[in-house]
Amino acid sequence: MADTERSTDPQQAANGDGDARAEFVAEWRNSAYHCFSSGHKFCREVCPVMQVTRNENHSPTAFHASIVAMEKGHLDVADVADDYVHCTQCGACETRCPNSLFTGDFYRNRVRTVEVVRAMRAFAVSQGVEQPGWKLWNRLTDELKNEPVLGTDGQQPNGQEHVRDWADGLDLPIGGETIMFVDCEAAFYRTSIPRATAQILQRAGVEFGLMREQWCCGGPAAEMGYVDQSRAFAEHNVADWREVGAKRIIAIEPHDYVHFTEDYPAYFGEDFDFEVVQIIDLVAELIREGKLKLERPIERVVTYHDPCRLNKRKGIHEAPREILRAIPGLTLKDVDHVTQWSYCSGGGGGLPIEKPEITAEISRRRLANASELEVDTLVSACVWSERPLGAAGEEAGIEVKDIIELVAESAGIEV
Amino acid sequence: MAVAALPDTLVSELVSICGSDRVLTGKSALFNRTRVPSPFPVHKWEDYAPQAVVLPTSAAEVSDVVRLANEHRVPVVPRAGATGLTDGAVPLKHGILVDVKLMNQIHEIDLEDRTVTVGPGINMLKLNEELRKHGVCYPDDPASYPCSLVGGRIGTSGFSLLGARYGHTRDLVISFEICLPTGELIEVGDGGGRKIRKSSTGYTLKHLFMGHQGTLGIVTEATLELVPRPEAEFAAFFAFSSYDDAWRATAALARSGLATLAGVVLFDERKLDYLRRDDEAYIPQPPSVRSVIATALYGTADEVRPAAKRILGIGKDFGGTYLGDEISEGDWASRHDRYATPLHGRTPSGQVAPMSWHCEDASVNWTALPRVREEWHAIVDRLIEKHPIFDDWGMFAYTNGAYKPWGDYLTEIDVGIWEQELDEESWEAWVQAKRDIAEVAVRHGGSISACHGACREGEVDLVPVELGGQFDVMKKVKRALDPNNVMNPGKYLLDEAYEEVER
Amino acid sequence: MIGFRLAAQKPPEPKPVADGVVMRLEHVYEVDPALMVDHIQQLDFPVWRTNRTVANRWDHLAWMHDHWADTVIHGEELLEEIERED
Repeated sequence: MADTERSTDPQQAANGDGDARAEFVAEWRNSAYHCFSSGHKFCREVCPVMQVTRNENHSPTAFHASIVAMEKGHLDVADVADDYVHCTQCGACETRCPNSLFTGDFYRNRVRTVEVVRAMRAFAVSQGVEQPGWKLWNRLTDELKNEPVLGTDGQQPNGQEHVRDWADGLDLPIGGETIMFVDCEAAFYRTSIPRATAQILQRAGVEFGLMREQWCCGGPAAEMGYVDQSRAFAEHNVADWREVGAKRIIAIEPHDYVHFTEDYPAYFGEDFDFEVVQIIDLVAELIREGKLKLERPIERVVTYHDPCRLNKRKGIHEAPREILRAIPGLTLKDVDHVTQWSYCSGGGGGLPIEKPEITAEISRRRLANASELEVDTLVSACVWSERPLGAAGEEAGIEVKDIIELVAESAGIEV
Repeated sequence: MAVAALPDTLVSELVSICGSDRVLTGKSALFNRTRVPSPFPVHKWEDYAPQAVVLPTSAAEVSDVVRLANEHRVPVVPRAGATGLTDGAVPLKHGILVDVKLMNQIHEIDLEDRTVTVGPGINMLKLNEELRKHGVCYPDDPASYPCSLVGGRIGTSGFSLLGARYGHTRDLVISFEICLPTGELIEVGDGGGRKIRKSSTGYTLKHLFMGHQGTLGIVTEATLELVPRPEAEFAAFFAFSSYDDAWRATAALARSGLATLAGVVLFDERKLDYLRRDDEAYIPQPPSVRSVIATALYGTADEVRPAAKRILGIGKDFGGTYLGDEISEGDWASRHDRYATPLHGRTPSGQVAPMSWHCEDASVNWTALPRVREEWHAIVDRLIEKHPIFDDWGMFAYTNGAYKPWGDYLTEIDVGIWEQELDEESWEAWVQAKRDIAEVAVRHGGSISACHGACREGEVDLVPVELGGQFDVMKKVKRALDPNNVMNPGKYLLDEAYEEVER
Repeated sequence: MIGFRLAAQKPPEPKPVADGVVMRLEHVYEVDPALMVDHIQQLDFPVWRTNRTVANRWDHLAWMHDHWADTVIHGEELLEEIERED
């Protein structure tokens, strides 16, 4: 069973009358109404974007109401496209929504704001209502086969010939039953993370290889509305995994993990028979089983940033804390994961490409929270969060580290 | 479907006050500021759209906007969280919507004189996350606790779930700054400086400027009470085999005299039927459980422990069965954000339908509760019989008086409404049902509303009946403070005040 | 088991437990699917999604208790105490 979560209403499926807006609205109206009819806005104060703009048409509630308004003929996609840019797809709204929190499991139905945002962005693209930054970003991704994370002016080392530069000198094999999938930001920008990850896995005796030809996972394209591109990238990557006989994929980054466990099953159905492992779960298990020893003390006072896609989207919040508590010398000043439903870096969902000032402010506020705890380090487990958090950290005088970097250090690995 | 735009010159003046990025005239901004969670006539959405939205960041900006609107005779509608259930934040005559969400700063935490001063756009849960660091809390706790905003709480004079212990909004808001309909900013409190709780100087205007649903001005800053963060919480839920037994036990619990008692909530038999549909706490309850009482205590551990034993004793003595820790604690914790979810709705055939929730609330004395309950259910039953897009979700009664919880009760009947299927006929039937529900409350010596306000279609017709001579005073006050009827016009039948002058 | 496998995400068939209520996963009540046919339909919920929602609910409720007070006094414990005192 795929987590496509599309309604199986045959009436809706048949309602394709050729009018694109009518078709779009027919597909999403009942879903939108699931929020609209309550309209209670429990999402507002946890939404990282709303906390900054406090503009009601950027609220998750509005993302559903606007579809109902489109159904009634009051709004068109051009009226709302910019509203739907104001979302990091962190999932806080869905997590906190009483319709999910209190009755979602009972009815096997829930408010699907992230999917609605993605669908509206895709509809906008299909109608030629494109955001210039996203358009360029996805065109370059399509050409390069990875995201232009180092810059969009063509002057940076990008593309397939550089996709494994991060692994120089590590002597990593290609292929095998277990594949380590390295996302674009880590492969090109924060290369210390894949280097640390690879060496941690080697140290713990985990056999793995890299892809023959690794393209972007396709997730960001899906998030920004470039659905066909996302699917094409997914098809390439799955074909590459099959070619080398892969059975297990290690996602070293939360966005990939979400994409592999939600979008890939939706694309491929039951044929998607790979095991997908999130690196944080794996490292916690390796430590628990004694296969990875953390013996070198790290004298830092840290707090942990729950990455949205691990915490809010996937419920992974215990494993990273378990890892941090296993590092000798480390003082963890923790903020619980429920409080952190309203935290974010602002780095997801393409927001930094189109609204960098909002991303920066979200990160600034996250660091302000960390500052109150009097820590010297903010630890994250999501490479995409670390660039905006790092910039805000420089202002706040707090270093931003990835949990894997700390694990490597404590394991005595020179990255 | 378009709403007539404001003249460009007026928009330019708004821009000169707030800056271009905080004056919104796009259709999305307008259509997304028409509703609150109460049932909404989707079929005539455009009737409720404002013509422009401003997002002020200071009292001075609010004042300038209101002055401008007054000068041009353009309606102004204040909007904070837009989580209210009586349409205070819904524009009835278009105009300029003043959205105060950006005014959400904490201006001062005074741990000596025990106050916190905030902007009207702050949410109580977010505020309490900050206050906790100082060992204090602001215990205004509606069912919309995680999303309603202080400005709206003042505008509606809301009810707090913990009101028996800590008081309601009007007891917890010490003073505030308000922008009058003509643009002047004044401080309103009991008297004296903004941190004085009790004064007998002059008229007590604080209550006048609370619960007016935005018809007398826009709050721009508020000074709130700080109470010690509770050391201990205790919640107990009791099962009863009949409503009448539970009703008697409710009185005994409310009259217990325990200072830590935060509230007593009575669930009627229809509420139990409803909860058995989908609530994990109530699905496994045997059929003998027909009515439930919830109670909660807050305070120091030294007070709460013995009081809790007393509560358990009263519950037992009056025939109640303690429902266990998991239900008592779990269900109580969920009551801080207890807004109904759409899929509770059922059509007469039992099929799930996504319904909007309406909570019709009244203040009713304890003695009148059983009779009001019967009459209200009968009204809703008749409505459902004719229009099966409605659904009866049962009734609650909450202790209502601040610190003296024994005399009257916030009595609510929850009604599901399938808005997607609404048409003019069913909408009118709904409005009539609201009118009938209000009539019952008033006839039994009650008030139309304990917490939401009473300015929606239908119920509002009974306001002059309930208030009598007070309603005439309301109209005089409105006319005196808002000579041009620009401040949230159309609400509370106050337009009549101006028609009388014309006559 | 730390990894995700799609095959493991299909919930068991529902068993009726009360009027209009079924159960697929232990301790998780669900509406009888027959009641969600005419007006609104169920979504495909993989097991992880149901489990995460249930866990979120309990985490949220625990958070709310902690938000409002330092400690929660439990009725069952007090009842035992009362019984001993009698």
